Amino acid sequence: MIFVVAEHKDNKLKPITSELLVFAQRLSRDFNQPVTAVVLGAGVEPLADEMKTKKIDRVMVADHPDLAEYTPDSYVGVLKPILEQEKPFVVLIGHTTQGMDFAPRLAVSMRHPLIAGCVEYEKQGDRLILTRQIFNAKMNMKTAVRGGPPYFATASPGAFPADDLEAGGNAEVVKVAADSVSSRRKILERTGVQKGKADLSSASIIVSGGRGLKQKENFDLIFELADAIGGSVGASRPVVDAEWLPREYQVGSSGQTVSPKLYIAVGISGAIQHLVGMQTARCIVAINKDPEAPIFKVAHYGIVDDLFKVVPALTKIFKDLKSA
Amino acid sequence: MKIISCMKPVPDPASRLIINETKTWIKDQDLTFVASEADNYALEEGLRLKEKHGGEVIVLSMGGEEAARVLRSGLAMGADRAIHLLDPKFKGADEFAAAATLAKAIEKDGGADLVLAGVQSDDLGTGMTGTMMAEFLGWVHATVVVGVEAAAGGKSLKARRELEGGINETVELPAPAVLTIQFGINQPRYASLKGIMAAKKKNFKVWTAADLGLADDAVGKAGAMYEVKEILIPEKKSKVEILGGTAEEATAALVEKLRKEAKVI
Repeated sequence: MIFVVAEHKDNKLKPITSELLVFAQRLSRDFNQPVTAVVLGAGVEPLADEMKTKKIDRVMVADHPDLAEYTPDSYVGVLKPILEQEKPFVVLIGHTTQGMDFAPRLAVSMRHPLIAGCVEYEKQGDRLILTRQIFNAKMNMKTAVRGGPPYFATASPGAFPADDLEAGGNAEVVKVAADSVSSRRKILERTGVQKGKADLSSASIIVSGGRGLKQKENFDLIFELADAIGGSVGASRPVVDAEWLPREYQVGSSGQTVSPKLYIAVGISGAIQHLVGMQTARCIVAINKDPEAPIFKVAHYGIVDDLFKVVPALTKIFKDLKSA
Repeated sequence: MKIISCMKPVPDPASRLIINETKTWIKDQDLTFVASEADNYALEEGLRLKEKHGGEVIVLSMGGEEAARVLRSGLAMGADRAIHLLDPKFKGADEFAAAATLAKAIEKDGGADLVLAGVQSDDLGTGMTGTMMAEFLGWVHATVVVGVEAAAGGKSLKARRELEGGINETVELPAPAVLTIQFGINQPRYASLKGIMAAKKKNFKVWTAADLGLADDAVGKAGAMYEVKEILIPEKKSKVEILGGTAEEATAALVEKLRKEAKVI
């Protein structure tokens, strides 16, 4: 059995859940194993109903008021007995902030392997070889798990595109008893990002700058280009960490996820955390002097040159177009 | 507060990394090792908590001479003492074996109020070890922490976690706990000359697998939960069209493509 732990927020399945189901459907074909998805929460039956329409075999629902908020203790507490009983072959979890908060605990509590951040897999005989990224996505590592199943894997966001998700299922929905669970870690407060002029979620054009700009003052080049093209400004994490710009400009897994029609990445090497926040943009342009920069893997057009020459030239063209 | 801060030696980020002959790791013989970047943020946070609440900060690392080097840098930054887990048997550990070994060392040292680690390492980068360590210790944990406050003499902790989409979550957890510290939480201090000199006189323990009471098959490669089959440079699946020429030519070509081909402007 291939087991998927669904991730959801605000009564909606998160995109990673579809990606995990895609991963599971592929494993299901290759290893001839049924797929079970499990959803934990309070009042999450509608989410189970949504998943059962996908081509999977079963949906398990653990519904309990104590599960209204995610905590690692509650997830490990509920999932461990289920997995001990169901004995799946593989357990798929998102390589997300939430997934990586409980997957390592769950795997250790059961003394089974966890391969985190998987981007691909292959079948060698009956063996499952999982591939993950190391050294900030510069290299891939193929791993063979040891011992018996279950094997835990967290899937990197974007690695198993949700577009491939097969519908046409009519999975059985099974309720699992979830007893009251206590959590040592208590949630006190949750605060959102301040929405202001840097709310990029609705921007149609975004010009983003990275560490390649070298210093804060040079970020003016990005603002000038954005102004000339009529776009908004974004930034990569190092820029925000260095306090060149406030946190709300950050694009990426710990900042905003954006999907504009045009995304211009300037001096951004393209760490995976950045790529997951912008790779669904319709058109991506990368300007970077390093031809090996990972940003070129997701870009549609690229210029490999000194950004201090390229950006002013680009700004000039757009200014001229505007005044023409 | 007794705080243990974990430091992982990783190749200096400026190094050129080459895959070794067996394709199971990188050629690491001639590389310079430094503390993984996030571990410096973790140590800085530990030093600040000590400055506020008193107690001691211990740096803990596993590995050969590179780990000793990293620990000396931690002592020079201001940690009070160091524990070096040194044994050829530790080599080849995965996150599982590393977490089990580190947890045993923490227990042998009499536990702690707080264990800190970077959110992820610069080499494997999966962010598993800190959380696995918490499970081995049976302690509570929080990941991706961007703010820490201690109360009740370090017996209760408040941690602000960074979630996706710019959301922060503040959680309360009882000590002892493990926190994995996010990049950018603070500005790690540099070691002063005085700090470097003082570091030489600080307590520096060296423990082997036998000292920790760990069996040979529980540590290093033998204790790992997976085997590395192959390290490779990922194939480029990209369809990127590189526009060449001078900056003026390339940008002119780009604007033409954006208008006529991609039709986004």
